[in-house]
Amino acid sequence: MTPGHPIIEIEHVTKRFPGVVALNDVSFTILAGELHAIVGENGAGKSTLMKILSGVLQDYEGRLLLRGAPVHFQGTRDAELAGISIIHQELNLVEQLSAAANIFLGRERRTRLGLLNDRLMEQEAGQLLERLECQIDPSRPVSELRVGDQQLVEIAKALGMETEILIMDEPTSALTESEAARLFRVIDRLRSRGVTILYISHKLDEVFRLADRITVLRDGRRVKTLARSETDAREVTHLMVGREIEAVRVGAARHAGEVVLEVRDLSLPWTGHARGWRLRGINFSLRRGEILGIAGLMGAGRTELMECLFGSSPEPPQGRILLEGREFRFAHPAEARNAGIALITEDRKRLGLFAHMTVCENITMCTLKEAVTAGLVSGRRERRIAVDCAKQLGIKTANVDSAVTTLSGGNQQKAIIGRWLLTKPKVLLMDDPTRGVDVGAKAELYRLMDQLCREGLGIIVTSSELPELLTLCDRILVLCEGRLTGEFSRQAATEHAIMEAATLRG
Amino acid sequence: MDLSSSWLSRLPDPLRRGLQRTELGLALALAAVIVLAMILDTQHNYWHNPRDSGVEILRQTAMLGIFALGAAIVIIAGGIDLSSGSVISLSGSVCATLMLLLAPQEMRFNKPLGLGVITLAIFGTLIVGLLVGSLHAWLITVVELPPFVATLASLVGLRSLARALVGYFNEGRSQISIFDERFRYLATSVWIPVILLIVLSLLAWLTLSRTVTGRHLYALGGNENAARLSGIQTNRLKWLAYCISALLSSVAGVLYAGAGAAASPETVGKGYELNAIAAAVVGGCSLQGGVGTIPGTVLGCLFLRCVIDGVAKIIKTSADIYEGVIVGGVVVVAVAFTQLRRARRRGKRFFPGSLGIVSILALSMLIGVLAMLFGQKLAWGGNAVGGIAGLAALLFLSLAWFFEQRRERQQGVRASAALPARKQDN
Repeated sequence: MTPGHPIIEIEHVTKRFPGVVALNDVSFTILAGELHAIVGENGAGKSTLMKILSGVLQDYEGRLLLRGAPVHFQGTRDAELAGISIIHQELNLVEQLSAAANIFLGRERRTRLGLLNDRLMEQEAGQLLERLECQIDPSRPVSELRVGDQQLVEIAKALGMETEILIMDEPTSALTESEAARLFRVIDRLRSRGVTILYISHKLDEVFRLADRITVLRDGRRVKTLARSETDAREVTHLMVGREIEAVRVGAARHAGEVVLEVRDLSLPWTGHARGWRLRGINFSLRRGEILGIAGLMGAGRTELMECLFGSSPEPPQGRILLEGREFRFAHPAEARNAGIALITEDRKRLGLFAHMTVCENITMCTLKEAVTAGLVSGRRERRIAVDCAKQLGIKTANVDSAVTTLSGGNQQKAIIGRWLLTKPKVLLMDDPTRGVDVGAKAELYRLMDQLCREGLGIIVTSSELPELLTLCDRILVLCEGRLTGEFSRQAATEHAIMEAATLRG
Repeated sequence: MDLSSSWLSRLPDPLRRGLQRTELGLALALAAVIVLAMILDTQHNYWHNPRDSGVEILRQTAMLGIFALGAAIVIIAGGIDLSSGSVISLSGSVCATLMLLLAPQEMRFNKPLGLGVITLAIFGTLIVGLLVGSLHAWLITVVELPPFVATLASLVGLRSLARALVGYFNEGRSQISIFDERFRYLATSVWIPVILLIVLSLLAWLTLSRTVTGRHLYALGGNENAARLSGIQTNRLKWLAYCISALLSSVAGVLYAGAGAAASPETVGKGYELNAIAAAVVGGCSLQGGVGTIPGTVLGCLFLRCVIDGVAKIIKTSADIYEGVIVGGVVVVAVAFTQLRRARRRGKRFFPGSLGIVSILALSMLIGVLAMLFGQKLAWGGNAVGGIAGLAALLFLSLAWFFEQRRERQQGVRASAALPARKQDN
């Protein structure tokens, strides 16, 4: 394909879900060899469009042209055969299998006897991974790899299939800065080989760094397609949100109250691992009306720390946890919840959401008791609780009785936050709460957190994006390999100082 | 069927939850089965003598329904209980053994037992049921066995244990006869099992659809990790679910002992666990957990028993042989029905590639064999009917295959069409 010619033409594509029009008459063209970024707020329809392009969704209205010929994929396999691969935000790997087996899944190399040729596959996988600057052993199970490396395994898989069009859905949302930088180098290399890349992101700095052209979606419609050289972040943001948003300034003149949570000498053993400890000797305290950030690379122990405070760690932690001066040893999340601690989990789909249930049922999950009269749940009262909560948090849904899966990622996250706010917590733990949530919704979340904090809640938040912590937090703690390696006040914190602490080897 | 969802959404909440598509579809299918049996039965039993057939179907449905409720609750909570048949066997044996121990003279000389003895024996049996359920829960939540394995062990083990118990307490005999009229009346009365099922299913329905515990059971089945992290005591819920299941199987065990006037651990309830699971699945429960309703399960039981009874009425003799074929067929058809409807909308092929061709052959043979067997029963001549039906099926399915092929070629927009345009580089 010569560069510059249309490779994919999207013509009047409409996709309806029950109660929501996810895509509304979207048409635009993607040129061969370009990096085309697709940006938009929560629920703008980016992911839906990509699922149509990659064959995940099969019934829609409108037409797709690939290299000028109409196509209608009946599955991801069809799309792969046609040279389109997608790297989902939530990775699709078989965790028990090795990296090589994943890369060759479905097109395994065989020996003359028809048996699996693991050696050849590992060798070829090694070559593919090497092209991606990835230094992992292809025979290792994927479950043992870091998220950033797992993602490169997916990219290697796509490369192995001679993919011509690569769709990347929020690829940096789970990556540390250095991993993201490596990914950008990989992307540059792919482009020099002529691969067309569709890049979905809400991080405008990335988009402006990488993209040739930018298509903005809003509420399921295409707003505009712009050349990068002819626009700027302000215009794109404006098009995405439909209004100007001022840079979020939160945290000014907040006053922290008395100490609400105190952690003394907290350690979490790691049986059967060389290091022996997931967390070691952690001391800190959290005040009422304070947002405390936890920074650290993937695997530094951020999630484990949250789990210890919530009674859901894989092994019981050692040390002391004091909530309002009283010592607690939580054996089950129920005890933590009753004591006034709430946790918004990192992996929404796996650990937070009840996909079979409605928005309403998801919101009232922890506090259903409040809608009970004479032992029975009153449907009307339950609904009122959910409707109030949805209104307060601005959850965009046609109806609280719709399936929760019809909501966009950010609105699902809000529903889960709502679920926990209803438990009236004293301490709110948020493990990477803005993962997969975009600009407009993010700003809303920041304001919500600020407001909750001013109402006297103590919040601990982790994030894989440092600017986010710098915006939000009154104090930032840095973890490195399970130890606290730094503490910064709002004034003293800089990205550079934090990264230095996070990469300390101790 | 799509119309139904719109007026359903306007109904008040509890009513709507009870009346979803599965239930409506099942009710329609039920009516169809009854009408069909009415017509095909040469003696027209359902028409001339609806009472006897109705009573028999109700009795069988009630007995199956009682422990199918338990199976459904466990399935909704994301587990599986394979032990019900063996728990039925064990419970009958325990009940009879307790009677034997409490009133050895009366049991030996076939005299009526005191009400106290019967009550105590039944009470003891239900306790044993609860203990079995608790043991399952312990194996699953503490020892961390998969539910399939834990209850498989009971399936194999408890029946054998029941036989050993009966032999130990009854001088090496393989069963204990119970002659007491009042105890037998529990099952032979019909109205007692039926009312028991109605009361138990209302309780279960109310619990699942209108209580916090019920909601949490659905949550546990739908996403166990999220449920635990929402502060739901998942292990306690599992304990509850497996106890309900074992307890209801014990209740059924007592009734079956009454119906058979004996505890005969070797034969009673054999394979019933699968009937219960089948009824739940036909009634809309998903083995993945988190999905299913009590009204659906009860309708599933009724539907299964109606089909079995209807076929028995049509073929008259040795119908029990066909029970397995019927249950298996009904499960596949009921579940496939929803799957196929969804697949059809996506334009998916039913007979793709070589698997499709082999499946067409297998299906035609199955239809031919069934037609042969039923043809003989209906005195139409087995071999001829079987041959004709088999060939007709083969012809029909081949045509379906052919049209599928053609439709796909006409669409001609398969991705492979775009393949040749790709460059090959490295």
